[in-house]
Amino acid sequence: MSEKVRVGFYALTSCYGCQLQMAMMDEILHLLDKAEIECWFMVERNSDEDREVDIAFIEGSVSTQEEIELVKKIREKARIVIAVGSCAVHGGVQSWDKDKEFNELWKTVYGDAHVKFEPKMAEPVEKYIKVDYKLYGCPPEKKDFLYALGTLLIGSWPEDIDYPVCVECRLRGNPCILIEKGEPCLGPITTAGCDARCPSYGIACIGCRGAVRDVAWFDSLALEFKKKGLTKEEILERMKIFNAYNPKLEEMVSKIFEEGE
Amino acid sequence: MYINGVIELRYVKLPKENTYEFLERLKEWGVLYAPVKISEKFYDFREIDDVRKIEFKYNRTIMPPKKFFFLPKEKIFEFSISKAEYNEAIENVEPFIVFGVHACDIFGLKIMDTIYLDELPDKYYKVRREKGIIIGISCVPDEHCFCNLRETDFADNGFDLFLHELPDGWLVRVGTPTGHRIVDKNIKLFEEVTTQDVCEFREFENKKNQMFKYHEDWGNLRYLLEMEMEHPMWDEQSELCLACGNCNLTCPTCRCYEVQDIPNLDGDTGARIRRWDSCQLRSHGLVAGNHNFRPTKKSRFMNRYLCKNSYNEKLGISYCVGCGRCTYFCPAEISFVENLRTILGLKDDSCPPEVAEEMPKRGFAYSSSMGGEE
Repeated sequence: MSEKVRVGFYALTSCYGCQLQMAMMDEILHLLDKAEIECWFMVERNSDEDREVDIAFIEGSVSTQEEIELVKKIREKARIVIAVGSCAVHGGVQSWDKDKEFNELWKTVYGDAHVKFEPKMAEPVEKYIKVDYKLYGCPPEKKDFLYALGTLLIGSWPEDIDYPVCVECRLRGNPCILIEKGEPCLGPITTAGCDARCPSYGIACIGCRGAVRDVAWFDSLALEFKKKGLTKEEILERMKIFNAYNPKLEEMVSKIFEEGE
Repeated sequence: MYINGVIELRYVKLPKENTYEFLERLKEWGVLYAPVKISEKFYDFREIDDVRKIEFKYNRTIMPPKKFFFLPKEKIFEFSISKAEYNEAIENVEPFIVFGVHACDIFGLKIMDTIYLDELPDKYYKVRREKGIIIGISCVPDEHCFCNLRETDFADNGFDLFLHELPDGWLVRVGTPTGHRIVDKNIKLFEEVTTQDVCEFREFENKKNQMFKYHEDWGNLRYLLEMEMEHPMWDEQSELCLACGNCNLTCPTCRCYEVQDIPNLDGDTGARIRRWDSCQLRSHGLVAGNHNFRPTKKSRFMNRYLCKNSYNEKLGISYCVGCGRCTYFCPAEISFVENLRTILGLKDDSCPPEVAEEMPKRGFAYSSSMGGEE
């Protein structure tokens, strides 16, 4: 490849942790030979959202009217759009309570404070534009960025992760928290890639990488949680932390509580 | 000693009081791995520093001993696109000892050998298998063990040494030249086996056999599985399945792996990585064109049962050794054994209790046109 790849990193409503994760990678220095950073305010003073790019990374949830316009503009100017992190991919933890009245949520957090933008319920980027690839996690792992970028740079296409955290938990040789302690670990329904970071410290997975594609068996896991004494509300609350927009979640969990009652 | 080309085993006794000294001396042969307690209930093979931490009475390790030979995750080669070349990444493996392997797991390794040494030779597996010393240990079954039904409850070979528990030590079977060398080098730690020891050994084996939960015939399992593909058990049980892969990933004989190319950021070089795969995962049956030859959770669920019991034409042995891991480590509490027993008709009567008298005579073989010459 003779020409440099044009890269942009754009932030919507988020903690900026995803771009910080990428900016902190030593390997990013290798990228500079191969890529031109057109827009990335965290690392490049000469950034411009209006420039065309080959790869656009978007972090954050679409949470204002202005951000709806921004993601549409990015899509028009980018060849490949990559949603980065839980907020961009699944709406993030800020959409946990999305089914509540928006004004009520707003008042709980901000009271009567005035803002210069027009706020709305947090939503995943995919609600508004086509997303070509997703980097899961809160934040994604460094190796997620390296793999996606490296694969695109050789002119290939990165694979999606379609298996749950349990796989990596076993490969690391951890004991199983769900079996042994009966804790509501979301490992079985959560997209892998973190090398079972939390279970490796004995902490049950809360699902920050989001439900694994169309193979997250919320119903089977809800049944197991039910056997361990959790109520439907407790199960839904936990599974929704990072999956509030999942179209199957509520129905699949409810099914377990309808049966045999 | 060779008799008719067969190595006659050698038997020695390791007195109880010499056990830890023996284990300490094993470290002279390489890095020592043995079962230890890794959490409240679970065990795993780990590198041993303090030999007193070794568990002699453990039910099963969460990771099977295949992990030492077929690594859970490993780099298989590095590549360069511009140079159009690749370099295999076989590391220099130092000798190591896996102590405390149960008979079922020794059979597990022997099954792995039939694939990765014989059928599809795998150099990454072979180099580790050559450097690994296997020391077996006797055990008694818990409620999940069914190695008796798989005939893997007593290992005839596949180990360098095998330790059988006695009230005052261990009866040691020596299985290989390496085993002989280990004993010879530490000969002062060993004694001769007495008649009393043999009686104790026999007693232990008899007791062990009585402790198994089931004593029944599984001979027809393969055929019944193939004929019972429409059995309601498949729907009911696969519905419970989380498709987490624990059953495959803890299995001593699952040998599927997934490969992935991880390029570096230079747009040229990278590495091919492989990791253990699971047939319960979506991508296991995914092929070009986005086709999936096992598109449902149920079809993936069924695959493991058939693979373990039925897809063994070449070798004629079951790929299941009855270790009980897939049941013990299933977060959805699905029992492999009970599901197989359902298929075998051992749980409820799906067929009439007795075959009617005249039935066999209505068969094809009884037709008048059949039969050889008188």
